[in-house]
Amino acid sequence: MKVNVEKIENNVATLKIEVGADEFEKALDQAYRKNVKRFNIPGFRRGKAPRKLIEMHYGPEVFYEDAAEIVLSEAYKKGVEENNLEPVDHPHFDIDQIEKGKGVVATAKVAVKPEVDLGEYKGLEVEKMVYNVTEEDVDKELKALQDKNARLISVERPAQKGDIVIVDLEGFVDGEPLKDGKVQNYPLELGSKILVEDLEEQITGMEVGETREVKVTYPADHPNKELAGKEVSFNVTLKEVKEKELPAIDDEFAKDVSEFDTLEELKQDIKNKLEERAKSFAESSLRGSILKKLTEQAKVDIPQAMIDREIERLIMDFAFQLKMRGMDLRQYLEASQLSPEEFKAKFQDRAYNNVKTSLVLEAVAKAENIEVSEEELDAELSKYAESAQKSLAEYKKGLKEENLAHIKDRILTRKIFDFLQSHARVTEKVVERIAENEGEGEEEQA
Amino acid sequence: MKDPHDIIIRPWITEKSMAMKEEKKYTFVVHPNANKTEIKNAVEAVFGVKVEKVNTINMRGKKKRMGLHEGKRPDWKKAIVTLKKDSKPIEFFESL
Repeated sequence: MKVNVEKIENNVATLKIEVGADEFEKALDQAYRKNVKRFNIPGFRRGKAPRKLIEMHYGPEVFYEDAAEIVLSEAYKKGVEENNLEPVDHPHFDIDQIEKGKGVVATAKVAVKPEVDLGEYKGLEVEKMVYNVTEEDVDKELKALQDKNARLISVERPAQKGDIVIVDLEGFVDGEPLKDGKVQNYPLELGSKILVEDLEEQITGMEVGETREVKVTYPADHPNKELAGKEVSFNVTLKEVKEKELPAIDDEFAKDVSEFDTLEELKQDIKNKLEERAKSFAESSLRGSILKKLTEQAKVDIPQAMIDREIERLIMDFAFQLKMRGMDLRQYLEASQLSPEEFKAKFQDRAYNNVKTSLVLEAVAKAENIEVSEEELDAELSKYAESAQKSLAEYKKGLKEENLAHIKDRILTRKIFDFLQSHARVTEKVVERIAENEGEGEEEQA
Repeated sequence: MKDPHDIIIRPWITEKSMAMKEEKKYTFVVHPNANKTEIKNAVEAVFGVKVEKVNTINMRGKKKRMGLHEGKRPDWKKAIVTLKKDSKPIEFFESL
């Protein structure tokens, strides 16, 4: 069996495969054993006919196809290994000659991983979004905490804004009771704008025990289409007025809501947490910026096969998510009225970006010889092991091959980013607030 | 003497006959009127082997009908030829 790489062009490798007569004969025998059951020869039960007889009856070519598949796939595998090719698609075979006693000559074509032209990847001009935590932010967090810990006390006075009132409600449109329009003991925070604002305003000022008829005109853009723009009258009975009593912000409060003894410590903790968030946001924005610059300037000719495969993977992911919500893909397509082609097209860009990103990162790792050593892997694993309260060896045993590969990938990605970061020209940009979605997606696989 | 090729009509190739090759027994369809001696001589002449003995079986042709009309396939004779231990095998069968 001889396999030679003839050429690599446009990311397509051409392999010349020559298989000797002996090996082909062996493959024919395998093909015979695989297929005997299909042939019916008078005088023999199915699956019992000798190979020669079958060949006499049906011609010697009957087994060629299967035998060719056997030898070619074997030869192809060998060729890929020996020449360190990285195929990204199934190979395509062209058989030039196939004959019993002579062997097989064929050419295989397969798309291989494309070369990436990274461009100048050192000294990228990137931006880092920096957010400075202020005293105001801390106060805001503290206020939210205070609000969350507020106590409700019943009071004997007309309802005021900010109070929680317990009411019975019954709604009518044109004298007809509303469907689902009757509720009892409904706790309503005045000023929360959960119900129509007008209604809340009119309840303000009512006394406990009082019943009032309240006319409300729903705004035209109300989400409930049946009610939008209509005048609805409610019979409202006020049963109870409760006042929010906010705890005072002091050391006592700090003790109640946190493990800290003094307000100062609580404040410091809140500040630390906010700063941490700002920091991780800055990091991820930086990574996003690096990635964007890097992929933008890199040139790579991605074979369609790779994109198709990524699309497939994305769709599988998507289908899986649908399943979690109790839907399957076909139902989704029907509901959204998309043809499978349109649906696929939607993933095209994302798939392209994902593939490009991973190719580019890989190329950087290769160019800079960035690798993950066993020690680094162990160090990372022992971190996980610690949080799982197991020994390193124990934890390792519980991991599957693919999990390990995944963790390795993650370390590699991190190292690549560290490298790029240390070689990039970073400009800091102060932003007003933390946008949650900025800089996402950099955790894609390398 | 009759031509040996008129006596031996064709080999009888079935799963069973292929299995009997192991015992140096070879099966043929022969002329219904041929006797064991004629068959023995014919086999020896055609294949150049030594025959130990010949067993013959008269096979009845199957009855077949097309609607009302009943017909019958011709009767034929099957011969199982056992070769002597020191004889060479029949080449034709070996190629199967």
